[in-house]
Amino acid sequence: MIVLGVESSCDETSVSVTQDGKTILSNVVFSQITTHQAFGGVVPEVASREHIKKMTVVFEEALQKAKITAKDIDLVAVTKGPGLIGSLLVGINGAKAFAFANDIPIIGVHHIAGHIYANQIESTMEFPLIALVVSGGHTELILMKDHYSFEKLGETQDDAVGEAYDKIARVLELGYPGGPAIDELAHTKAPTYAMPRIQTKGDYDFSYSGLKSHVINLVNTLKMKKEPIDKAGLASAFQQAAVKHLIDKSLKAVEDTHAKMFIVAGGVSANKHLRSEVEAHFTHVKTSVPPFAYCTDNAAMMGIAGYYQYQKNPVSDSMRINGHSRLNLE
Amino acid sequence: MSQSLKHLVLDSATDYLYIGIFEEDKPLREYYELGHNDHSVKLMDELTKLFDALNMKVTDLASIIVGNGPGSYTGVRIGVVVAKMLAWTKDVPLYTVSSLALMASGHTGKVLAWIDARRNHAFLGLFEVSETSMKALDKEQYTHLDTYKDTVAFDKETTSGKPNIKKLFNSNLLTHATHIHAVAPVYLRQTEAERNLNDK
Repeated sequence: MIVLGVESSCDETSVSVTQDGKTILSNVVFSQITTHQAFGGVVPEVASREHIKKMTVVFEEALQKAKITAKDIDLVAVTKGPGLIGSLLVGINGAKAFAFANDIPIIGVHHIAGHIYANQIESTMEFPLIALVVSGGHTELILMKDHYSFEKLGETQDDAVGEAYDKIARVLELGYPGGPAIDELAHTKAPTYAMPRIQTKGDYDFSYSGLKSHVINLVNTLKMKKEPIDKAGLASAFQQAAVKHLIDKSLKAVEDTHAKMFIVAGGVSANKHLRSEVEAHFTHVKTSVPPFAYCTDNAAMMGIAGYYQYQKNPVSDSMRINGHSRLNLE
Repeated sequence: MSQSLKHLVLDSATDYLYIGIFEEDKPLREYYELGHNDHSVKLMDELTKLFDALNMKVTDLASIIVGNGPGSYTGVRIGVVVAKMLAWTKDVPLYTVSSLALMASGHTGKVLAWIDARRNHAFLGLFEVSETSMKALDKEQYTHLDTYKDTVAFDKETTSGKPNIKKLFNSNLLTHATHIHAVAPVYLRQTEAERNLNDK
């Protein structure tokens, strides 16, 4: 089965062609990151304006690179949410028009399901598994007892981990996006500041606002006293605390559910410290983190998730399918 | 095979959603309804219904004409991405037309068509519209509405109107898109973030 995937939930315009939920025939990603860097973060209206300039040309490149035509496509899988609504609507309406014109069934796919299924590219899921979803908008633990079955065990009570990275990068003047910048800097030095212990309500919940505020207050105090800030030592201290929180909660979830596999999904899965800590701590179960190229938003993961969604429930959506800025994974 | 003379016209830049299918300049089917922030739900759904009712395919079209703004930023993008996609994937010639011209075409006389842009400002256009044709009298702009009204003469003002496609076919207001990929809405305004950046 050949699936055309479409992703436009944030600041990447992406179209892919994948086969049988595994083989990537093409995955074209047009990133707007340089456009948004001038603003210090993604500006929704700017993102939507970029998407509409690129949508059809990205479709064309994806078909050309896969060496197929519209006739070869069995299913169109488009991100329906969550994400920036204006951006989602460009991808959804473009995908609907393409599906209609070429008489292909279309399905809307949850963006986080896409991130989870990025793990299917180079690995093979074994159930039950625990998925740690970490990005600028999400920090959650999901139990999967089978393909396309998602049970949320816990989530962040406040900030997402990626959001905390971005905000701390901003106060340390490391630029946007903040995650890779902190990760790089943290690897140059051992922690030189103490970080607070993180407390949460539920066993599988997360919290990043306390850690974030602590770092921001620390920086402001040092600035006020005109004392030097050891940026590398601070980045390292923050990163170790942030990642330890993820690892501790994930270990408990894997243990309690007797999971056979632990996978990481979302943009923060590209974090090198997180990747090495997963390798170090989860020696007792099979693990997977997506290949670097598929950690950030891309349409290949949407096509693969779409394949499994359609295998489980082979019902296409109508032409009334719409975007949703907030959407539960079910 | 006889040469197709059918045309699809779309506009989703205002509160009203318009879809029309024409044989030369005669309407075969039209949809014109006040939306409720649901153009994204309705456009492809209603378009599919019109094509089904006429037993037509996208490949039966001689051209696609899309209102490319100004208007609601999100709204205009829905129509433009659909028109671009249909035109590109089935190799149908694509034309753009001002959404204000589409609105004005439903009226006659010197027509001031405007779309509210808040803070007493509007996206507006001034047109001379006859029973059979129309032309633009001024460049479309984002400006203070009352100030503009004081400086120009017009017979009527309007914020909506069912398009009269025949008048547009007889005008010079349709622009052929030689590069479909490059077609983008006319916003007439930078985003707030860009304006703030430029002000720095």
